[in-house]
Amino acid sequence: MNKYIAYWGERALLVLISVVVLFPIGWMFLTAFKKPRDAYSLSLNFEPTVQNFVTVFSDPWNLGSMVLNSVIVAGATVAIAVPCASLAAYSFSRFRVRGRKFLFFLILSTQFIPAVVILLPFFLMFRSLGLLDTRVALVIVNLAIVTPFVIWMIKGFIDAIPTDSEEAAMIDGASRLRVIKDIVLPMAAPGILTSSIFCFILTWNEFMFALILSRRDAVTLPVGLVSFRTERGDLWELMSAAGVMITVPIFIMALLIQKHFTRGMTAGAVK
Amino acid sequence: MAEVRLVDIEKKYGSFLAVPQQSLTIEDGEFLVLLGPSGCGKTTTMRMIAGLEDITAGDIQIAGERVNDKPPKDRDIAMVFQNYGLYPHMTVRQNIEYPLKLRKVNKAERARRVQDTADKVELGTLLDRRPSELSGGQRQRVALARAIVRTPKIFLMDEPLSNLDAKLRVTMRAELKHLHHELGVTTVYVTHDQMEAMTLADRVAVMREGRIVQLDTPKRIYSDPADLFVAGFIGSPSMNLIDGAVQDGRFIAEGMDLPVSLPDRDEVVFGIRPEDLELADGDTPIKGRLYALELTGDSTLVTMRAGKTSVCARGHADFEAPINAPCHLAPKTGARFYLFDRATGQRLDG
Repeated sequence: MNKYIAYWGERALLVLISVVVLFPIGWMFLTAFKKPRDAYSLSLNFEPTVQNFVTVFSDPWNLGSMVLNSVIVAGATVAIAVPCASLAAYSFSRFRVRGRKFLFFLILSTQFIPAVVILLPFFLMFRSLGLLDTRVALVIVNLAIVTPFVIWMIKGFIDAIPTDSEEAAMIDGASRLRVIKDIVLPMAAPGILTSSIFCFILTWNEFMFALILSRRDAVTLPVGLVSFRTERGDLWELMSAAGVMITVPIFIMALLIQKHFTRGMTAGAVK
Repeated sequence: MAEVRLVDIEKKYGSFLAVPQQSLTIEDGEFLVLLGPSGCGKTTTMRMIAGLEDITAGDIQIAGERVNDKPPKDRDIAMVFQNYGLYPHMTVRQNIEYPLKLRKVNKAERARRVQDTADKVELGTLLDRRPSELSGGQRQRVALARAIVRTPKIFLMDEPLSNLDAKLRVTMRAELKHLHHELGVTTVYVTHDQMEAMTLADRVAVMREGRIVQLDTPKRIYSDPADLFVAGFIGSPSMNLIDGAVQDGRFIAEGMDLPVSLPDRDEVVFGIRPEDLELADGDTPIKGRLYALELTGDSTLVTMRAGKTSVCARGHADFEAPINAPCHLAPKTGARFYLFDRATGQRLDG
């Protein structure tokens, strides 16, 4: 009897949690296809339209340029962070250098600082460099945020690779760099791919820095959402359509890497 | 082919002395086995030869050339690892080919040598598989093929058979021996298995706590152990080592009374191999009660106890007797026995 209650209790709880988590997302997807007058109703009985998507991509919203900004910022961040982090992770994993643990802690400790605290210094720095409202500034900021995290994640994967194969390659005649290229990177590839996607997602969703550091030219998608709060009130149906545009790529990526995702997290965590 | 000389080498990890200062010369074409229990420094010594570990002091010379500062890739050695160290993302062919590729051997020559080597270790039909699709024995052969594909100056083998099952180990042992005979390359082989050491080696270096305690042919290591440690480590079942004392020219222990040529002293260990003892009747120098019988097929291991003394003898396969029955043992005629100092382990006789 107790077992029975536990079984159904557990399921009821899971359903409840799912509803709480999924309701806003479901609501956003539905609202994206609603006309303005239906936006506030919870009824499922409405006439679907794709007009919202057309509107957000045309004047004055121009979501297209924001999509481009987001893709470039996230893409460039991944392209720079992942190779650098891979080399750093390899070094942390393999070289027994004095102060290695402290250095690794130092890099991770950057993650403990609340973003708000470093927001103003970043703003002042980019203003004096004349980089405000540029993609370059956003890439630099995002690199600062994600690189330590990606180093930590990839180090977990590299730690899991036995050193035997590497040593075998060195004896076979490979230099250290050749070993990394021929042996370590192919063996760590699933982990590096997972880390790349993770890095992309973090950057893609980054809001606070993008909000403060961009004004017109470098506005990214999450910041773009704010512009749908107008004097005429909040344009929920347009905000939802834009929200769908932000969510769908991440959603697809998450599906693709679902299997590696949890492994990536634990691989990084355990060792 | 080449001679390897370790001259006053030493290895420290921080303040921990892993391998104390010592020298060793491995002759050109020799098969030398480093034998010892785990943690005795044998793998460290091999890794220093390979260049995978720096040496704290001393010199390593390969073919007369000092290689201390040379990276592993420039020492012209090949190594077989305990866990094979294969490249899991490459096929068997690519694994074997890799050392040739790094040495920029042309494609046609590469293909020919890979095929030749693979045939030699009977992998010819498995070239397009990945390591994960192979059995332990096959993986071991890939590792071996990768080592022999480019005829290096020296082979280093780090417990290459320890992950294989008992039967396969015996087969591979014979293959290794044959291969060494065929190629004649200087080989250093690390193992904790004394049977492997005895069967494969031209010379065995028995190591303990980083130090080589005896360096000799397998025959001499077996018949003339340098100290108590070597005596107990070599042989299966191992040598009987009995604590006692010498009084009036006789070794005395519980259940034992044997004439020996040694002045009186306490704390003596008497050593005799099970195969040097036989079951006898009447008033024998070793007496006790039967403790256990183990049939091994061609013989029976008879264990006898008298108080704290426990002695094992190799008896006839047909021998049978009830447990706890009186048991009499005597050294065979011409049998060798050894006397050691219990505190230092040093040989006291001969």
